[in-house]
Amino acid sequence: MYPILEFEGVTKEYRRLIGGSFRALANFSLEVQAGEIFGFLGPNGAGKTTAIHLAMGFMRPTTGRGSLLGKPFGHAGTRQRVGFLPENVALYPRRAERLVRFYGALNGMTFSQLQKRGPEVLELLGLQDDATRNVSRFSRGMLQRVGLAQALINDPELLILDEPTSALDPVSRVRVRELLIQSRATGRTIFLSSHLLSEIELLCDRVAVLHHGKLVRLAKTAELLQSSEQVEIAATGVSAGLFTGAVAQNGLLRIVVPRDQQRATITRIWTAGGEIVSVIPQRRSLEEVFLEVTAERPSNTATGGQ
Amino acid sequence: MKAILLIAVNFVREQRWPILVMLLWVLLLAFLGLSTEAARQREDLLFVFKQVAVYVVAFSVFFGSSAIYNERRSRRILSVLSKAVARDRYLSGLVLGISFASAIYCFTLGLTGSWTLGQSGFAVSEVWFLMICLLAACVLAGTVSLMFSTFLNPFFAAGATAALMGLPALATYTSGNSHWGLAIPVYALIAVVLKSSFDTSAVGPWLPVVLAVCESLIFWFVAAQIFSYVDIAVSVE
Repeated sequence: MYPILEFEGVTKEYRRLIGGSFRALANFSLEVQAGEIFGFLGPNGAGKTTAIHLAMGFMRPTTGRGSLLGKPFGHAGTRQRVGFLPENVALYPRRAERLVRFYGALNGMTFSQLQKRGPEVLELLGLQDDATRNVSRFSRGMLQRVGLAQALINDPELLILDEPTSALDPVSRVRVRELLIQSRATGRTIFLSSHLLSEIELLCDRVAVLHHGKLVRLAKTAELLQSSEQVEIAATGVSAGLFTGAVAQNGLLRIVVPRDQQRATITRIWTAGGEIVSVIPQRRSLEEVFLEVTAERPSNTATGGQ
Repeated sequence: MKAILLIAVNFVREQRWPILVMLLWVLLLAFLGLSTEAARQREDLLFVFKQVAVYVVAFSVFFGSSAIYNERRSRRILSVLSKAVARDRYLSGLVLGISFASAIYCFTLGLTGSWTLGQSGFAVSEVWFLMICLLAACVLAGTVSLMFSTFLNPFFAAGATAALMGLPALATYTSGNSHWGLAIPVYALIAVVLKSSFDTSAVGPWLPVVLAVCESLIFWFVAAQIFSYVDIAVSVE
């Protein structure tokens, strides 16, 4: 079984007429497996969009290579099985339903397939009432939903989404989130680049963090959030006064302690006649992890002007 | 083929306003046909017809040189090329779109020319031969400018196209050998239109037309090769 999306030592340099070149990606390697929702994070200018554009064949790597659904980047036929939503959605000024059908037809869908699938995807994204309106009159959020509709029209095996919910209202955001979870349940793979960390935290099975064009963290989301240095110990039958910072609630005492004090704290509870109910590694938010990982570190990615 | 056709039709749709402006010139000819006495002022009518005819070549250069730039600047190209559309097919769609836009103009001008010039004694078959020459010139000029636009901005692409189109004319003028005009026969084809008259038959050899079609294919191939190496997601500003 081949990886759905693979980067192998990919470097991308943008050459400038004056001032050398700028390295957007440096020896970047990554594998995305089938059936996962993969979160792709990084601060602005980290190289996320460059990586996505390389995968879609919009540009060529300076060195290295990669594959999309088992075929090298840029293979046009493979894109028939891919749905792509760019960061800034730019669409032709047409009626939403016609536009979605146009993009489906570009992917080789037949008229009858489009007649069935077109209204389906518009309804999935809550655009059924606006299907006959020209998208040039749409709000940014609605445009983003039409962009998602054109990405979903061919029922793709792989969805590559660059900031898919950045302009959406909370209701639409939930709708899209459910749609993505549903897609994963049917075996689809989703490569999701987003700055909305709470969303990544909720949706993604694995997360990669890119910084200055380099992969700085790759882990399962659950592991990433649990790799804290603190644990929460819940106990009964002990007084809160024995432990500083302990919180008592409904007869349960909760104590957060550094991991290296875990054993000593448990021993103290037992000695005091208490019972341990649970010992849970403290969860961090993805935001904390992100900030820690992307804390400014020396960069040598710029080889020229930058 | 379906994708090529879709891109071509979409191109014409996107360029509907410039095409409409072009057609206003044809309307001018139709107005002259209505307001003048065709038999007495036929030379003036033919002059306007020739003038209106050659405008379309300039328009096709404009279409070709700006097509990719506009799509890249608006970032709409990403949504198209994220589908199962290879870059050479995308270019084929644009060439076909430019050809469609030029064909609409040539067809309309052909109809108006047949009516206005036909009633003053110009053979209708000659009008349509001139339109075929004009269309062939437009397709070649549009393809050459599209090729230049794969690596130059529209202004320079249009300039480079004009220079390349003008070289055979210059060679013909300096050497006195008219065969130079067949090298890149846009000038030769325009000359057929410009030299047409009531006295001599305009229907001449088809060689420039055939050469124009063949050279369009060659320039399309070169454009596709260059375009396959272009980073299209990079800002064109």
